[in-house]
Amino acid sequence: MERNTLHDKAASDTAFAKDRAYRTQDVDLSTLKPAKLDGVQLRLHGVDHTARPTWKLRDTVTFYRDILGLPLVHTISARGWGQPGHPDFLHFFFDAGKGATIAFFYYIGTDRPEKFIPEDHYFYSATHTAWGVESEAELHQWKETLEKRGITVSPYTRHEILESIYFRDPNGYPLEITLRLRDIHRLDAKDAELTLEAAMQMEDELRAKEDRLHDIDTVWRRKAKLVEDYIGAH
Amino acid sequence: MVVVYVLDVAEFHEIVASAQRKPQYRVRRSDKGYYRIESDTDIVFNRKEMKMKPAVWYGLFTGGLNGEIAEFGRDEVRVIGTNKPL
Repeated sequence: MERNTLHDKAASDTAFAKDRAYRTQDVDLSTLKPAKLDGVQLRLHGVDHTARPTWKLRDTVTFYRDILGLPLVHTISARGWGQPGHPDFLHFFFDAGKGATIAFFYYIGTDRPEKFIPEDHYFYSATHTAWGVESEAELHQWKETLEKRGITVSPYTRHEILESIYFRDPNGYPLEITLRLRDIHRLDAKDAELTLEAAMQMEDELRAKEDRLHDIDTVWRRKAKLVEDYIGAH
Repeated sequence: MVVVYVLDVAEFHEIVASAQRKPQYRVRRSDKGYYRIESDTDIVFNRKEMKMKPAVWYGLFTGGLNGEIAEFGRDEVRVIGTNKPL
């Protein structure tokens, strides 16, 4: 019963449901209340699903279910979605482990708009799905097996805390298989905060002079100052 | 003077080890998780000497850098002193 109530609320008269112009991107963030002010620690428990549109129904099913071997675990088929003009659609989910799925929308009778045509550019590849594996042996098995199945896979790339391989699906969507190389420590979080603080400070200062950030060196120099302040006199 | 800060995590330890092999660099570890590498003149690192993968190499100075990168090649980087503000 509780679940139904939740659903009814979500589908009813909220601004989000009614007013399609309601967008956080248009909201002045200074009017929003920071988490620390209400003392509520909201919690997440990993990824449930990610979803992207596809205009290649059969290719997408063939690739994820038959070639990668991810079980197809759920499909929604619906006549629109309540809003006028919304096309009928299929929404289907492939199991990606630990309860996570990768999902697609196939909007029936629509053509792919130009802006959804994949580009060979890092701006485009920035939106990607990265699946985790638990050992180096598993990472190697993915690369070798995918290559034997005919998929072009990148060389291994070792980042700071991740080692990854990359490939693309038939829609052009970038996929990544990644191995976490070590646990993340409290130090990493502090360092992350200092790096972004340095970048935000420099960006603000340069924008005030009608300039912009041009390089990471500028961030690294401010970071040096913030680290010096943090670790104290030397 | 050139100063490089290095976070005390596994993937960057080779930077510290490399600096410690060079007597002209002074290396100290703060108890807050950063190494501080200091030199009166240029600081030079070599990627192959540190057995470092390119994706980590190009983030070499993410711990902080008081200096100016004179050259940043695929295998060698040279940092010189600068008057640019931090």
